[in-house]
Amino acid sequence: MLRFLAGRIALGALTVFVTTILVTLLIHVVPGDPVQIMYAQSQGSTPEQIEQVRRNLGLDQPIYIQYIQYIGRLSEGDLGHTIRGGQPVLDVILQRLPNTVVLAVAAMAMAIAIGLPLGFFAAYYRGSLIDTGLMALAIAGISMPHFWLGLILLFFFAVELGWLPVSGSGPANLILPAVTLGLSNAAIFARLTRSSMIDVMNQDFVHTALAKGLPRTLVFRRHVLRAGLVPLVTMMGLQFAFMMGGAIVVENIFSWNGVGRMAVEAIFQRDYPIIQGFILTFAIVVVFVSICLDALYAFIDPRIRRAA
Amino acid sequence: MSVAEAIPEARRPSLFLRLVSTPAGAIGLLIVVILIGGALFADLLAPYDPTKMGAGRRFQPPGGGYLLGTDEFGRDMFSRILYGARLTLLIGAVAVLISMTLGVLIGLTAAYARGWSEAVLMRGTDVLFSFTETLIALSCVAVLGPSLQNAVIAVGIAGIPFYARTCYSAALVERSKPYFEASIAAGAGHGRLIFLHLLPNVLPTMIVVATLGVSTAILAAAGLSFLGLGAQPPLPEWGYMLSGARDYFNRAPWLMTIPGLAIAMTVLGFNLLGDAIRTALDPAERQR
Repeated sequence: MLRFLAGRIALGALTVFVTTILVTLLIHVVPGDPVQIMYAQSQGSTPEQIEQVRRNLGLDQPIYIQYIQYIGRLSEGDLGHTIRGGQPVLDVILQRLPNTVVLAVAAMAMAIAIGLPLGFFAAYYRGSLIDTGLMALAIAGISMPHFWLGLILLFFFAVELGWLPVSGSGPANLILPAVTLGLSNAAIFARLTRSSMIDVMNQDFVHTALAKGLPRTLVFRRHVLRAGLVPLVTMMGLQFAFMMGGAIVVENIFSWNGVGRMAVEAIFQRDYPIIQGFILTFAIVVVFVSICLDALYAFIDPRIRRAA
Repeated sequence: MSVAEAIPEARRPSLFLRLVSTPAGAIGLLIVVILIGGALFADLLAPYDPTKMGAGRRFQPPGGGYLLGTDEFGRDMFSRILYGARLTLLIGAVAVLISMTLGVLIGLTAAYARGWSEAVLMRGTDVLFSFTETLIALSCVAVLGPSLQNAVIAVGIAGIPFYARTCYSAALVERSKPYFEASIAAGAGHGRLIFLHLLPNVLPTMIVVATLGVSTAILAAAGLSFLGLGAQPPLPEWGYMLSGARDYFNRAPWLMTIPGLAIAMTVLGFNLLGDAIRTALDPAERQR
């Protein structure tokens, strides 16, 4: 188990390391002069100010020096300053990151609460009309763009019925974005769960249990469900990353004040320090969550837990 | 010998018949054919120029002179949807082509060369994979700047890790087969082994993955356009059209319904078709 986890942590560390390199290189692969581009939108920037920014960002140094300086600043928790406003990037991100995490966790909980039982029922009634109907619903859900679903929900529940607020970042504002993101992912969870359960149902131990005369419901509850849930834990890591990505779009629909909305605004404003900070933060959060889920997987799967 | 192999070739239904024999496959194929037809014959079918504005015909509801109504600039929605189909298919095809070409190149090289190049390429792929497609696409757009062309490149690059991993696994399976070892023993060169043995045997798997990948690419590119990071005005791109509809919820709900439905149906079509091709080619899938 420790070896398994060490491998995952090493890959996670490698991912974060590569991210720091890519983030440093990012500003250099921008076609044209990044400082000119960043300042093209703001009025009254003199050549002296632009040179000053170039020096402040360390862009007048060779790339390897810039990387060393970047790592040095990172170790002190300094992600640079925003181009507009000059605020510390870390503060801006930390102010908004909790909103994104809350949204992703709420959506994940909803996706699991809906997707898991539906997938299980589809597998239980495999080949029946229930299975066909549920899977048709799931494929329709997967095909529905979440930005469209978001607009429809916004139109009905906020604009037409007025039950929920149109935008903002309070608890009531969380409902629509979480439902939008959660429903899209519930469909994926339902398909994954069904597939995982059917894989287990084809195993010999399940056939043996049924051949021994154990009731079908008992076999499903005690053997299939427990064994089928294990692989889903690793898939949740991927789904969480997917959900963080989906949050970027959903936050923009509902004006939810998270890092996704911040990133899109920064791309429009060409505020590269924020974009760099966002990419690094996103990678760290995704890596952290997948390592936690891998640890959970290693703990609940006896084949890994008991491995030497 | 499996049951499928035991049936004489002449009696086995063709891939097309196997595809249309299931309702899902038939519906998927029908949607994709309609989409391709609409895209190919948009010039003939579209009653108006998709970018032509008209102050006097703004917000015309569907029906009457305008089958799907008009938008906030008086442009005909039906014509925009038809030309949008052309754009959407092009986006999906080009993005998948970028992902597949580079993914296959990386996957085949890693599986064939083994050793340190395999380690570097596949660890690199693992790292990019944990980056997630959205982050890669967003980073690419941040570097290249918002435009449809850049969004397609971004979506194409974002898909590479997935295609590379799939190709690598498929190529490893082929490598371990006796015919491949026999070819090495017979003295086949690198080019022959890669292009005549590995590539043709990996392609069927990659084609199934690509069919399903078209829907992912279309969805991702539409998402970027929706955010304003992809297609720019006046292009009739569906994601961009949907984004513009936000301001006219009450006045013209069809502006929100029609492009959304077009994206959803397209993605559904490719998903159903991809699933059906996978099932038709893989007997084990039919047991599911």
